[in-house]
Amino acid sequence: MSHFSESAKNVLASVGDVLTSGFGWVGGVCRLLWDATIRGARRPFGIHDIFYQMVSLGVRSLPLATVMSLFVGMVLTWQFGEALIGFGAKNAIGYASSLALVRELVPVILALTVGAKMATGMTAELGSMKVSEQIDAIASLGADPVKKLIWPRLVAATWSLPILAIWGNVLALASGAVIADIVFDVPADYFYETYIDELWPSDYLSGLGKSVVFGLLVGLIGCYQGLTTKYGTEAVGISTTNTVVATSVSILSMDFILTTIFLPVS
Amino acid sequence: MAAVIELHGVEKSFGDHTVYRDMHLVVEEGETLTVIGGSGQGKSVCMKMMIGLLFADDGEVRFRGSEVSELNYEGLRALRQKVAMVFQGGALFDSMSIRDNVGYALIEHTSMSDEAITARAWECLDMVGLGQDRSLLERMPVSLSGGMRKRVAIARSIALQPEVILYDEPTTGLDPSNIRRIGSMILKLQKELGVTSVVVTHDMPTAFRVSNRIAMLYERHFPFVDTPEGFRDTQVPEVRNFIQGRVRDGA
Repeated sequence: MSHFSESAKNVLASVGDVLTSGFGWVGGVCRLLWDATIRGARRPFGIHDIFYQMVSLGVRSLPLATVMSLFVGMVLTWQFGEALIGFGAKNAIGYASSLALVRELVPVILALTVGAKMATGMTAELGSMKVSEQIDAIASLGADPVKKLIWPRLVAATWSLPILAIWGNVLALASGAVIADIVFDVPADYFYETYIDELWPSDYLSGLGKSVVFGLLVGLIGCYQGLTTKYGTEAVGISTTNTVVATSVSILSMDFILTTIFLPVS
Repeated sequence: MAAVIELHGVEKSFGDHTVYRDMHLVVEEGETLTVIGGSGQGKSVCMKMMIGLLFADDGEVRFRGSEVSELNYEGLRALRQKVAMVFQGGALFDSMSIRDNVGYALIEHTSMSDEAITARAWECLDMVGLGQDRSLLERMPVSLSGGMRKRVAIARSIALQPEVILYDEPTTGLDPSNIRRIGSMILKLQKELGVTSVVVTHDMPTAFRVSNRIAMLYERHFPFVDTPEGFRDTQVPEVRNFIQGRVRDGA
């Protein structure tokens, strides 16, 4: 009995530790968002740094976003087509795939792939700077590391992901139309018309709204993990791995929350 | 001589690990004070508290009478224009050219033109003995040797003509000729610019050569502060053991 109660205590202690560190992590991320917002909003706004990061995070992610969007459009259209054939409703393929792609799959898949790439890049770069004392050096020279390093990355990630999602929506539509035409003999122009017909502005906005929030999450997690990297090169690897996990879990959790908010509106 | 930096009754811990307990240290105007002590005892922590990168849990850290922990954002910016720090590995910004590294503080704090910043960066590089090849300005830190990186870091620290320079282990990892060169540079900057210097080092020949006073960190405070001559002639066993590299019995 005493052995059992000892084990239960250990389990409870472990759960307590996990909860404490989890709340600490969330608190740290929120604090970073607050600091970046307050300090970033001061002049100068660091427009040059923001554009540099947008090129680095956004433009350089275009190939990956393109490939992901093309394939997600093709695969989803194919899957829906196969299901609809069973009901003799293959002509509804445009209606069926549009909502899933625009509201859900393009923003989420891009956040999980392109977003994870952005976040791990930020963590690795900032983590290496932390380990080599470059972040302390920025502060010691009288500059603000949050303003110089975090603010441009947050703004760039928050803007880049929705822009990539717009591009991804166009490509997913195009690749879906190709599959509809070639595999299911549904004319591409008919697919396009039914695809567009089904969508309301609120559907586009909910997809873009998700991308904005995912972009902010990606930037916050990538930067926070980088700034909290412990010392040693091994620590950079650990932080980067944790970033992938934290980004994926956060994006999917946030997707659920946003879906419950946006679905009734849409 | 007037005190530039004063630490009184400083307590500092990281979790369960206590680094300082009731620590006192005064850095006087124009002197070079060298801090020695075992590895991992917190010598760099002391420097980071002087420049406001870390704050004491208790006690006072003052720069020219102002409590560092009470300075706001603008106050800390002003402090860091007067107190520069040279980091152990140089901490040069990998993504920037040597010109941008050395001119970083000028870009941040002044409205100097690009040409003026380049000229000042070159002047600082020349002061640290790197004024032979002007193409250095456009090179990236990764292409430099360890000794050159440290000298560029020193050039970066003097760009704004600070009153105090903090050197964190400036000779670590360098060959004997570069160690001597860095020592000469510390002396030269003190003589030519009149800066007050605090040097953290394990290298006793450098400590004896550049210092006006030496402070030894021992058991979480500085019980031994004296001139280099005083340290050489000391009969205090702890100090003699450290200077001569002897291992204590049972250690």
